[in-house]
Amino acid sequence: MDKVGIVGYNQVKLYSDANYGRYEMIFEAVRGALDNAGLKKKDITTVISATNDYYDGRTISNCFTVEVGGGYLADESKVEMDGAHAMLYGLMRILSGNHKLAVVWGGSMPSCYPYHSARLYETDPTWERPNAYVNDVTASGFQMRAYMDKYDIGAEYIANIAVKNRKNAAKNPLALEEAQNSNITVDEVLNSDAYSDPVTELMVAQPCDGVAAVLLAPERQALKITDKPVWISGVGWNQDTYYIGERDLSTCTSMELAAKQAYDMANINDAKNDIDVAELHEAYAHEEMIFTECLGLAEKGEARKLNTSIGGDLPINPSGGAMGGKPPCATGLIRVIEAVKQIRGEAGDYQVDGVNRAVATGQIGMCAQNNIVWVLEGGGE
Amino acid sequence: MTEKVIEKNKGLVKADFAFWVGLYMDKFYDGFEQKKIMANKCPECGSVFVPPRKICGKCRIKLPIDENWIELGDKGKLINFTRTAYKVSDRRARKSKSLKDYGMVQIEGSDTAIVYPLIDFEENDLKMGTEVKIQWKENPSGGPSDIEGFVKL
Amino acid sequence: MGRQVAITSAGFSEHASKRSDVSMPELVNEAIEDCLTKVPSVELDDIDAFVNGNMPAFEGSNLPELWMTDWMGARNKPLMRITTGGTTGGSVAIGGYYTVTAELPGIDTVLAVAFEQQSQGDTSVGLASVAYGEISILNSLGISYGQLNRLLSGGAAIGVAAYQATNYMSKSKITEEDLARVVVQNRRNAAKTWWAHLKMPDLTIEDVLDTPYIQYPLRYGMVCPASDGAVAMLFTTEEKAKDMCDIPVYVNGVASVANETAVLGYDGSGSAQVDPSAQIGAMKSAELAYSQAGISFPRKEIDYAEVYAPFPNQELMWDEKLGLFEETTAPEMYETGVTARDGELPVNCSGGVNSTNAIGASAMERPAVAALQIMGKASNQVPKTVHTSIGSGWGGSLNFITLMVMSDEPKRKWK
Ligand SMILES: [Zn+2]
Repeated sequence: MDKVGIVGYNQVKLYSDANYGRYEMIFEAVRGALDNAGLKKKDITTVISATNDYYDGRTISNCFTVEVGGGYLADESKVEMDGAHAMLYGLMRILSGNHKLAVVWGGSMPSCYPYHSARLYETDPTWERPNAYVNDVTASGFQMRAYMDKYDIGAEYIANIAVKNRKNAAKNPLALEEAQNSNITVDEVLNSDAYSDPVTELMVAQPCDGVAAVLLAPERQALKITDKPVWISGVGWNQDTYYIGERDLSTCTSMELAAKQAYDMANINDAKNDIDVAELHEAYAHEEMIFTECLGLAEKGEARKLNTSIGGDLPINPSGGAMGGKPPCATGLIRVIEAVKQIRGEAGDYQVDGVNRAVATGQIGMCAQNNIVWVLEGGGE
Repeated sequence: MTEKVIEKNKGLVKADFAFWVGLYMDKFYDGFEQKKIMANKCPECGSVFVPPRKICGKCRIKLPIDENWIELGDKGKLINFTRTAYKVSDRRARKSKSLKDYGMVQIEGSDTAIVYPLIDFEENDLKMGTEVKIQWKENPSGGPSDIEGFVKL
Repeated sequence: MGRQVAITSAGFSEHASKRSDVSMPELVNEAIEDCLTKVPSVELDDIDAFVNGNMPAFEGSNLPELWMTDWMGARNKPLMRITTGGTTGGSVAIGGYYTVTAELPGIDTVLAVAFEQQSQGDTSVGLASVAYGEISILNSLGISYGQLNRLLSGGAAIGVAAYQATNYMSKSKITEEDLARVVVQNRRNAAKTWWAHLKMPDLTIEDVLDTPYIQYPLRYGMVCPASDGAVAMLFTTEEKAKDMCDIPVYVNGVASVANETAVLGYDGSGSAQVDPSAQIGAMKSAELAYSQAGISFPRKEIDYAEVYAPFPNQELMWDEKLGLFEETTAPEMYETGVTARDGELPVNCSGGVNSTNAIGASAMERPAVAALQIMGKASNQVPKTVHTSIGSGWGGSLNFITLMVMSDEPKRKWK
């Protein structure tokens, strides 16, 4: 694969109820990314957005974002998935040789719509949707129980992840205020209200308002734009079957396959040693443990033994992860941005020492049905 | 030709949707009318699917509509469960006052599991492997609501 | 820097106003089956990645590919969903091209699928949200859906298209007969296309002009139907394509450009555009795609065109904007038979969107048919040999155009 660099990024502050409109938010994110790279609107040749018609409450949700997203008279398209998937299409467009600068942005404003109700529309209307017994809420409960049951793991280990991520989020100025808590304890997490047992409310990444953007460029242009480009060395994406009654929920096959594809591309044979930091889109605390294992960062059932704090053996979600705020269609892209910050040494209070290679993931669907894995590397030469 | 329609669909926007269930699900729901579970089986890997489908996801081969049907009983075992107060079919996904139990049950003879409420389950009945039985609606009409839930055997 | 991409097959489901005999996954599966039947050496298992899309609000399902995964044969495969409204099909096809050209390891053969089962849903609700921007804002202002529906009787796609039509007519001096003539050509062509929806082999200009207006200048007999249907296209590398079929079709240019504006969109959709027939986006798309394909004289170099046009005025307008004919001369080309099946530059021999419109699928059906015309496998095949063809898509509120340029020769000059 030819070298493609991430040359700029920006993320707006996450709010549970943002005090401004989505177009302003998109403009802030994209304009900020261009400023971050020292570029102008006229430099953009293609724009890939990630929005969702149901989340935005309208058909063709990208239709009215053309100007604010920098897409006016640029070659543009929309990936209706996580922002991390939109970046995949941005990468393909750069690799084609047709484009020299791709803007990738994604985001949503769940303060304007009932999130779970919109998610219910993702279920099979001829089977599960009329009764709504299978939905994003109950699926999370099944998933956590499957994991705990398979490896005989107590809920306190999962609560521990929520504690770590909420504490990390407290160091991240862009994280959702409601998610930031530097004094939270395992007991508090375990004793918070039931979400879908055994998942409790504090183990859930809260949907919130936010938009994020990154800029991609081919090697030659990337080196001219910035002296700190972050290179894409691998990507993998994969979709599992829909039926949660047919999947082994204690693992995540699509994540394993996506990781294999990305690692093969990046020549990674020993993920545990080759990767310095991971930013994962964990919709629930237990998903971080499942993903950690599927990414080969821990053996199956052993994620709980890994020290994943900022100063630990293998820091995971030093930014607070999705637990620090989960704007639909932006969360995976924010993970990419956080990985870029770590590699460039721009992560401030949650900077991990000596990061050169990072993974970032994004997902959509119940129990993370579709996952994307990015391997990113520094070393601008 | 089948014109079975699933109509109930509350949500974000009030709009009338009618979802054609298609050939495979039609056969499945016809079974429901007689309180039967009709599954189809992949001739290659032997997987038995509830609900039935046209393509075996694993082997990526077509399961023709007239072949490989099998009738299953209404017994199964609990392979997963959860308890929640959320009413996601409600427009605002509010929480109800009481918690409700849902079980993932593998019907005997199938390789998949289906999710329905657990009826009259005590706290200590909620165990992986508990044997259960489908509780059918008294007068099934050929739709997903014909199964009211699972009861302990 | 990107590799040559080829199309080796395209398939369709049967289209009708109500495919209530099948579920959405079954409908999609029909198109995939038809597509793969034409390439006997390719099994579902040989697909390395999937790209798909539809216009989800029209049928009440968000991200339907999630529950259709197994039915498409995509379980545990890379899958990407692209949706851009009316252009969805075109955008998915272009996504198929980019997935192959990117040369990612192990990703050679890609199945692109686009579909719509409009009979399931309430299309006016979907269109309302295009024409009126924020559903939620209108609802919060206390405007009910019943009221919105009445507002829509002169609005939505027909409404904005009518403004576009009058704008175009005032510039080009075309008559209603010119519009009807386009419709007659399309519906007669549809009669010879097995999967098409509105088949009218004996339609006359008088028949069309006999139907009442919906909104001047568009009459009931001129507008597209709402269809259920699906389409699939198979993209692969140049090397693999040669083993799959006799005449691979090379994708030599792609573009998807919008000149949609946010502020107008917010307040009154594209209908508030000063001149929705100006089509700067379409011209930019054409410029980009033709330059990639090395086409300097589209009128001379393109042998066949599938132009996305639900309404006849749009077909005339885009024929010109995409460079097939000089401005204001398109009507004449229909009158003199240039665009007929046996003409010099046949347009929409499938009957076009004017005869079959399963919205999410429509913009992929254009490049699909255009590719099959090169292979000599189209349902209503033109008698002459087609070397180079184009397929376009229209979407957004009025100003988003996708374009794919295809050829029987890999002509692309790599930099
Ligand atoms: Zn099988």
